[in-house]
Amino acid sequence: MVDFPTRRRGIAGWISYSLRLELLLGVISIGTIGLLWEFARPLGIPVFSNLPPLSEIIQTSTQLLVSDQYWDGWALSVQRITAGFLLAQLIGVPIGLFMAMHRASFETAFPIVEILRPIPPVAWIPISILFWPTRELSVIFIVFLGAFWIVLLNTIGGASNVDPNHRRAALSLGSTPRDMFWRIILPATIPSIVTGMAVGIGIAWEMVVAAEMVAGRTGLGYLLWQSFEVNAIAQCIICMISIGFAGFVSSQIVRLFGSYVAPWQRQR
Amino acid sequence: MAPTGWSSERGVILSDVTKAFGDEFDSKLVVRDCSFKAEDGCLTVLIGPSGCGKTTLINLIAGYEQPTSGRITCDGKDVLGPTRDRLVLFQETSLFPWMTVIQNVMYGPIVQGRGESAKTHALDLLAKVGLRDFRDKYPNQLSGGMQRRAELARTLINQPRILLMDEPFRGLDAMTRQLMQEYLLRLFEGSGQTILFVTTEIDEAILLADRLVLLSSTPATVRELIPVDLPRPRDMSVFSTRRYVELKSHVLGILYQEALQSFAAGSRAAADLVQAFEMRHKAGAG
Repeated sequence: MVDFPTRRRGIAGWISYSLRLELLLGVISIGTIGLLWEFARPLGIPVFSNLPPLSEIIQTSTQLLVSDQYWDGWALSVQRITAGFLLAQLIGVPIGLFMAMHRASFETAFPIVEILRPIPPVAWIPISILFWPTRELSVIFIVFLGAFWIVLLNTIGGASNVDPNHRRAALSLGSTPRDMFWRIILPATIPSIVTGMAVGIGIAWEMVVAAEMVAGRTGLGYLLWQSFEVNAIAQCIICMISIGFAGFVSSQIVRLFGSYVAPWQRQR
Repeated sequence: MAPTGWSSERGVILSDVTKAFGDEFDSKLVVRDCSFKAEDGCLTVLIGPSGCGKTTLINLIAGYEQPTSGRITCDGKDVLGPTRDRLVLFQETSLFPWMTVIQNVMYGPIVQGRGESAKTHALDLLAKVGLRDFRDKYPNQLSGGMQRRAELARTLINQPRILLMDEPFRGLDAMTRQLMQEYLLRLFEGSGQTILFVTTEIDEAILLADRLVLLSSTPATVRELIPVDLPRPRDMSVFSTRRYVELKSHVLGILYQEALQSFAAGSRAAADLVQAFEMRHKAGAG
């Protein structure tokens, strides 16, 4: 592995950096796929031939990205994600903490959890439509479910696995039960909760797309499905990419939040 | 029965303490009829083979567990639960990872309701353990030795009656370990702090101790009580004195037997080793 100098300043340094082998390889691989895609039809490449070529997609995107429909879709999907995800945290974290700290509540609730949890949130869609008065609520409910189980299990796990020596030290030093909760158990559980959030936000995006496709009348997921139904495949693909991008940005936001709320976990 | 002649009720006294874990159908005896005293103002060292029940004894004295039978008193009062009179330095570091060093040290005073007034004391203690410049760091930014010292500060700020140290230098490299031992001596010689120190290292035990309590293999009981009359202040030079060598040889003899027992328990090949040892002894060697 050739070691390119990265600390040289100026143009020479920048060129050295750009020419780093890894970067080069990354550019080459993506570039190759792009080229193959663009020329799939004339070249007769299997899967990519059925898709509109890359140039058409880029062209369609210039139209789509200025349309109201697209950005309204974004706004609505983000709203639903935010509502469902936040609700899942606000309800799931306290329940998880309570269950971890009170054996009786855990024994009572856990069987119910274990029966309901394996049902994929997507399978809940029909019931959700029947149960909630508006489509909006039924979509948010699906998002909520997706994130809820994750945060519940992660919170219970984190709170149950507080190092016994931390508890003992805290007891000996004179902690009241209140101190134990707010100063020991809760901070010790935060890393697990953050993990739950990171996984949960990804699932939330999956759920919102599915729910919108079926139950919603607006949103990126709905737009995706609509594009398919009217055979606007290029638009369809752009929606896919947008949703992927949205998921990525959400994950980064959660990661930032995790870093803020658990500063001791940062790599040093 | 507890031996007679113990000076006063001050300090921690164990009388015929027995501890078994498990239920009536399947119980494991860990401590059996253990009696000794950690004298006020002295550094008492508990030494015994690995797994003999030393940590259980620490947990019993600290109040995290209750004895199955027997009695533990601290300054004449029964030990009923964990209090700040008896604070523990655990084997693995138990600094709270989500708090900075100074927050860790201030934890005791804060939950005891005297947080504000303890700030100066905390800073002094941190200076004493050499961590004043690291007070705003998180534990994961400190080395092993530094974490131990921070924990020491967290404990000492509460001025406990007795400091319980459960193999606190285990896992440190040899050099750091030696430095921590010297450091402990500098810190506590002449301070009057009552300390109960648990270890498996004989050199460490004799270097630090005013009195040694030799424990048997599981279930732990007291094999012998040995006063260590090496002069203070001590340092590494004590290892080459004649008295040290005598003490070590004596302790080694007893501990070797005990270690052999726990090594052999459940292992057939090791049982042969025990047998060979006994035969050699009967033949008049040693």
